Amino acid sequence: CRGCSGGSTPSTAPPRLLPAAQVGPRPALTQEELEGVTTASTFVLDQPRCVFDDYGNAVIWLVVALEKDASTFNNSAGPGTPETAFQSFPEPVRAYMTLNATLGSYPCPKPAGDITVLRVGSETSCAKDESRPTCNGPLPGPGPYRVKFLALEGSVPVAETAWSAPITLRAAKSPGSIPTAGSGHSAGMIAITTILSILLAILLAGLVAMLVFCGSDSCGSSTFSKQEAVSVRRYNTHHVYDQPAARL
Amino acid sequence: MAKSDDCVHILQGLLVFGNVVIGMCGIALTAECIYVVSNPHGAYPLLKATENSDIHAAAWIGIFVGLALFALSILGIIGVIKASRTLLLVYIILMLITFAFEMASCITAATHQDSLTPNVFLKQMLERYQKSEPNNNSDNEVTKTWNELMLQNHCCGVNGPSDWQEYTSAFRLTHSDADYPWPRACCVLDAKGLPVNLDGCKLGVSGYYNSNGCYDAISGPVNAHAWGVAWFGFAILCWTFCVLLGTMFYWSGIEY
Repeated sequence: CRGCSGGSTPSTAPPRLLPAAQVGPRPALTQEELEGVTTASTFVLDQPRCVFDDYGNAVIWLVVALEKDASTFNNSAGPGTPETAFQSFPEPVRAYMTLNATLGSYPCPKPAGDITVLRVGSETSCAKDESRPTCNGPLPGPGPYRVKFLALEGSVPVAETAWSAPITLRAAKSPGSIPTAGSGHSAGMIAITTILSILLAILLAGLVAMLVFCGSDSCGSSTFSKQEAVSVRRYNTHHVYDQPAARL
Repeated sequence: MAKSDDCVHILQGLLVFGNVVIGMCGIALTAECIYVVSNPHGAYPLLKATENSDIHAAAWIGIFVGLALFALSILGIIGVIKASRTLLLVYIILMLITFAFEMASCITAATHQDSLTPNVFLKQMLERYQKSEPNNNSDNEVTKTWNELMLQNHCCGVNGPSDWQEYTSAFRLTHSDADYPWPRACCVLDAKGLPVNLDGCKLGVSGYYNSNGCYDAISGPVNAHAWGVAWFGFAILCWTFCVLLGTMFYWSGIEY
């Protein structure tokens, strides 16, 4: 009514916002057999196939936040604004929005055999570029992080998934921590050493015995004597009683 | 007397046969050690970089021991046939010295083989591969060797691509984790040397990256060389032991 003052409801009030519908399932690390499911600065999610089918006009965004800041995120924060810019994450931006796509990018159902994943953190070219606040840049630390998908029609959130379970990235150790001290000796090396030492000891003992006992002639004649002619010399015995003393 | 004569001849025959075998084995040992010394395998620059070249010391000793065994076996044959105490005494003493040297070579080769654990290569690879300011030529050699190893054997890292994720490295300092979770040499490359599917390689999709480690490709030739020197030498020494015992017994029976 014109001229009314103190009216209860202004005629140009914006429509009351409905809370975004919860759709499931919540985002999760991919179940595919990939070596790089989590690296030091990236992780891989399954695409949200057959999740937002009722919202054909919406743009689906991925919201990434540290686990401790997930509960403070406000769905009405707009993407591409300084409050959700990747370049200022995690301080002062608590959660950033990236990886926008329309429903056409996630056709339902997923063809069997296709690997349908989203790699969070793969865009390195815009990581420092302030003019690209929706950059899918590498994550700055090991986390843990929580993510959720948010469908916006215009700037109105219409559907969202629950926050994912906390995702922790890999932390790399220093190579100085690798122990390179010898792992001990193998059985083969110990066997070689012992057996050869014993053999050498036996040989040395044999040499000493050989020289001590057989250094002179004492061993030779008994075993390998050369063939010598055995001659018996005639021995004339002279009996003393044959002497002429018997003539006396 | 006839019986002891036969014993003498049998013992002489056995000793001559034993010395012939020692002579042939000596030649074979020399040939094998020359092969080991002159024919370094593809991963030899990595061994040189670990400053652990014991296998080469063992092989060099093996060359000279082999020649000594051949010469001494001839001396032994002459001494046995002539039944000469002096010759055989010289033979026994020189053989014992050669035995000691060959024993040292075998033990060195066996110890060297034990010391080359995967961690040794892992640490060297992480600290030196693609080092941005190479200290000396051996860093460049390490990088080149690893690139060739990974390309030719279709392998990645020492235990696998996860080596590059589990540890920081000189490579990681110049290549960001998001763009290079592991080096490009770990990707399956096409004929031009470019990755067949770069995104597949970065994700780690099987078929687009090399998932097994290179340790088997390194340790295979190294172990073959070490075993060749160590165990063949050990076998020769066991045979030599028997021949020497027989010679000592024969010597003690020769008339002065």
